[in-house]
Amino acid sequence: MSKNQKSEAVDSVLIRRLYYFFEPYKWWALFAIVLTLTAAFLGTVRPKLTQIAVDDYIALNDIDGLIWIIILLGLALAGEFLVLIVNTYITRWFGQGVLFSLRNAVFEKIQSLHVQFFDRNPIGRLITRTTSDIEALSELLSDGIVNMIGDLFRIFFILYFMLMMSWELTIVSILVLPFLFYSTFWFKSKVRVAFLNVRDQIARLNSFVQEHINGIAIIQLFNREEKGKEQFEKINAGHRDAHIKTIFYFSIFWPLVEVLASLAMALVVWYGGARALMDQVTFGVLLAFIQYVRQFFNPIRGLSEKYNTLQSALASSERIFGVLDTPKEVVETENPVELKKVTGKIEFKNVNFRYNSDGEQILRNVSFTANPGELLAVVGATGAGKTTLINLLLRYYDIQQGEILLDGTDIKKLSLENLRNSFGLVLQDNALFSGTILDNITLGNKDITREQVVEASQQVEAHQFIKKLPGTYDFRLRERGASLSMGQRQLICFVRAMVYDPKILILDEATSSVDSETEELVSRACERMMQGRTSIVIAHRLSTIKGADNILVMHKGEIRETGPHKKLIRKTGGIYRKLYELQYKEQALDTASTA
Amino acid sequence: MDSLKKLNQYLKKYKGTLLLGALFLTGANFFLIWIPVLIRQTMDEVELLGEEYVGEYDSLFYVLFSSEAGGILAYNSFLLIGTVALYGVLLFATRQTLIVSSRKIEFDIRNKIMDKLLKLPQRYFAENTSGEIYTRATEDVARVREYFGPVLMYTINTITRAGFIITMMLIVNPQLTLWALLPLPFLSAFAYWVSGFINKYQLIIQKQYSRIAGKAQETFSSIRLIKAFNRTDYEQKRFELESDEYRKKKLKLDLVESLFHPTLNLLIGTAILIVIWQGGLMVMEGLITIGNIAEFVIYVSYLTWPVASLGYTVNRLQKSLASWERIDNVLNEPVEIRDEDEFAEEVFEDVKGEIIFDKVSFKYPGSTEFALKDISFTIPAGSSVAIVGRTGAGKTSLVNLIPRLFDPTEGEIFIDGKNLKEWNLTRLRRSVGYVPQETFLFSTTIKENIGFGVEEASMSEIEQAAENAQVLDNILDFEKKFETLVGERGITLSGGQKQRTAIARAIIKNPGIVIFDDSLSAVDTKTEAAILEHLRVKLANTTTIMISHRISTVKNADTIFYIQNGSIVEYGTHKELLKKEGHYSDMYHKQLLEQELAQI
Repeated sequence: MSKNQKSEAVDSVLIRRLYYFFEPYKWWALFAIVLTLTAAFLGTVRPKLTQIAVDDYIALNDIDGLIWIIILLGLALAGEFLVLIVNTYITRWFGQGVLFSLRNAVFEKIQSLHVQFFDRNPIGRLITRTTSDIEALSELLSDGIVNMIGDLFRIFFILYFMLMMSWELTIVSILVLPFLFYSTFWFKSKVRVAFLNVRDQIARLNSFVQEHINGIAIIQLFNREEKGKEQFEKINAGHRDAHIKTIFYFSIFWPLVEVLASLAMALVVWYGGARALMDQVTFGVLLAFIQYVRQFFNPIRGLSEKYNTLQSALASSERIFGVLDTPKEVVETENPVELKKVTGKIEFKNVNFRYNSDGEQILRNVSFTANPGELLAVVGATGAGKTTLINLLLRYYDIQQGEILLDGTDIKKLSLENLRNSFGLVLQDNALFSGTILDNITLGNKDITREQVVEASQQVEAHQFIKKLPGTYDFRLRERGASLSMGQRQLICFVRAMVYDPKILILDEATSSVDSETEELVSRACERMMQGRTSIVIAHRLSTIKGADNILVMHKGEIRETGPHKKLIRKTGGIYRKLYELQYKEQALDTASTA
Repeated sequence: MDSLKKLNQYLKKYKGTLLLGALFLTGANFFLIWIPVLIRQTMDEVELLGEEYVGEYDSLFYVLFSSEAGGILAYNSFLLIGTVALYGVLLFATRQTLIVSSRKIEFDIRNKIMDKLLKLPQRYFAENTSGEIYTRATEDVARVREYFGPVLMYTINTITRAGFIITMMLIVNPQLTLWALLPLPFLSAFAYWVSGFINKYQLIIQKQYSRIAGKAQETFSSIRLIKAFNRTDYEQKRFELESDEYRKKKLKLDLVESLFHPTLNLLIGTAILIVIWQGGLMVMEGLITIGNIAEFVIYVSYLTWPVASLGYTVNRLQKSLASWERIDNVLNEPVEIRDEDEFAEEVFEDVKGEIIFDKVSFKYPGSTEFALKDISFTIPAGSSVAIVGRTGAGKTSLVNLIPRLFDPTEGEIFIDGKNLKEWNLTRLRRSVGYVPQETFLFSTTIKENIGFGVEEASMSEIEQAAENAQVLDNILDFEKKFETLVGERGITLSGGQKQRTAIARAIIKNPGIVIFDDSLSAVDTKTEAAILEHLRVKLANTTTIMISHRISTVKNADTIFYIQNGSIVEYGTHKELLKKEGHYSDMYHKQLLEQELAQI
């Protein structure tokens, strides 16, 4: 009971929140309702007109009058036709409008959320929120509500015209309605259960098929083809029987509705016939009632179906608002300090970090300084915390203890845009989008000219290969840049970082996935990019960072060794030295295999 | 049309029921048309009576229950109700026969395709995406079902109902019939056009929908980059562009859909209007009665749905046939790896486990490059072999040939001196215990997963296998022990637990040959040592082939193969290979260093 009330309260909140997106269209909605009213009237007035035609003109042999009423009927028909089209289209149009803004709002919200939100939620789920959950509202918003109102109007008008002609016949013809209501509810409740079962069975069947396609090798290796077939037949039979059960309810319900409609007609003929004999009811009225009885059934059926639509729409909107209500965890300060000219000095002071308050310590007491123009390299095994340094520097996450300073200012005091604009970033996964090369480099920033792009790509020697592509900078990349080699993708990412002319350059494993032919090209590009910039380089290939001013050796969240290459390499038993030897082995292997 | 003939073979089994269903439906429509006829008769009789006895009927009670007129009314109404009831019962019987049969036929087809899928060689699964194959056994079958269900039922319904009604109409008045039917062909054509348009447009919309999802995926998965370059606004714009395109396409469909019902309404309304107009004129001339007009109005409304469904049915039929063709292709797919009849008889001697590769080369279907090149070796029965090499070198391709997941492109393979192709396939696979690289467990109990490949494995056998694979303690820690469900609906096992369960599944068969394809990668070194120790005792007489990246796993093998680009480039014992100072010894030293690093 209280649970019911509570869920009703939640529903009304959801509806109110949905209304916010609906608001801009409210006058259109009102117009649609007026149109619905008109259509309902024009549709239900026609049997009444046939009654007039029969009683006042046909029965009296009035040809002119008949033509006149036929024209009127034709007009009502054409009018209903036009109004219905306009009405349906308008409701769909604003329904799509609402969905459009909802979808965009969800996308905008997700994009604005902190990076940790993306760690916690699988991407598939986020996509569902922006696509199918919105889609589930479509039916409700595009014609659900307006149709419901239309159905009510129709019932009202039919009753009105019927009562106008004969209240007795009206009562006689709606005698079957209680049966219709009862059977509709019976059907709904039965079929809902049956449909749930069907859905389960379909899910079972589908997951069986899926699993057995994925595990086909195992099935064949273990000689389980026959067993699998037997199991499948059982599941398949369950699926079949669930369907047959729903067929049973349908094959009772639909004929029953037909029978009830015809029964109502029979009653009208019986009682109306008697009344006609008494000259109290005309044939025209009988004809009109026969039509009304059939018209009456549709809106009633329609109304009972809308309820389900409403239910599933509310479930989706709950999930949608769940996303829209997610609080941001990386919050910008309200009065940001603006750094106009960034020189590129970076300081970490006793930084400690963990993802969750009860989680593992990712960074322990990390302190270092990178001066403007310096090259700082970070090395260490996987999971040592190298990438975390960058995540913190760009404020993808906020630290719990310590301070991170850019040009002496705490990065929390800067606006996110100001902070992030100071960096040029090249990530390890070479993120490219479907679109032209130019778009991929400028990321749609109109302030960057084509000349700047060409200049930047000449600097990193990407121009040579780009100009050979069909359409050069307008060459369209397929998803994730699949048509290019790893090295080429890498170079494009370099150009992207360069056109923004950042003060600080960050390369995260930027050279790890490059084949040896392009490696030289890439490292030359790297060197050129680093000139005059503070650079932070995370690298597996130690050869690329030999020239670093300072190397941080990270191990299990701590800085274990610091210094330039020459100093670190001399330290026997040191981590850097081990890593270096390891690398050397790998490279020896590489050259052996390519030779 | 050839494929239609094949499809219709599935009807044979249910011929009787289907004929009965067609009969029921015809009967239903036969009774249906009596409703308007009875209404017309009643109205005509009332009109006659009214003219005969003007002013005599003044008490409702008298009229209804005692007069001659009352008798007629009651009789006609009774007939009407009887007819309606018969119509209802027959309609019920129709659905129970025709639609139920369609579900049964669906069941048959689905069994057939699943049976086929289970038997198809790995080649087929390499050539087709699992999504496509999945669609064959699910959606495509459902679409074919529509041919046997709705398509068949609506076709019979349209033909018989239209037949009866038009005949009856013609008997009453051919001229009015012509007038009344005038708008109906348009209705059919219009329904065909609309349902075709909807089908086509739904595909377009589906595509745009995937583009939205793709855009969301692209953005969300590169969120760090987008945030770093402050490009969220731009991404937002790009998303809204796709979102807007979706809205526009959807609205185009909406436009056609919003035409549908009003047009249906208009055409039916026009038919009724014509009936009243022309019928009215005829009544005035005394050619027909007002009862006839009522009758015709009902006829026309009875014809609406069958006529409209004609257009829709044709579209459905096209879709069903397209799906059927795809299914038929799967059913016709050759199964090249199977028992030849002459070798099919069961032989029950134990497999000793000697394996000989003789100049074996192998190419994946559709690939131009050889995955294995001219490989020859002999593995004595009962010995242990390790295969190492980089990812993509051909290690898995090599071991896949032994249980005939694929057949070599060139060369021959012998087990115990007998050509692999002469082995009974079931028996061969029973003798090979295989632990694949990607551990695949079925979503059932642990017990069933371990006993997967043996008929009626006893509990003690299962426990023993679990013990040998070092997973027994883990299983006993679960609340439901061996009855614990694995996978989506059950618990999630760790990578190592999964691997060890898969090992138990392979060794419970008491195989003559076991193959471990990098099957200990997720197991820590201590457990690994324990497993290897157990296996050494347990599998002392079993030929063991072990693929691994870890030196610790392979160093005790009798022979180690180092594979590169599909060829064996080094082989020998651990010691011999170290002395060679080639690939293997590089790998060894690298791992030593890594170990040292990890220990810091």
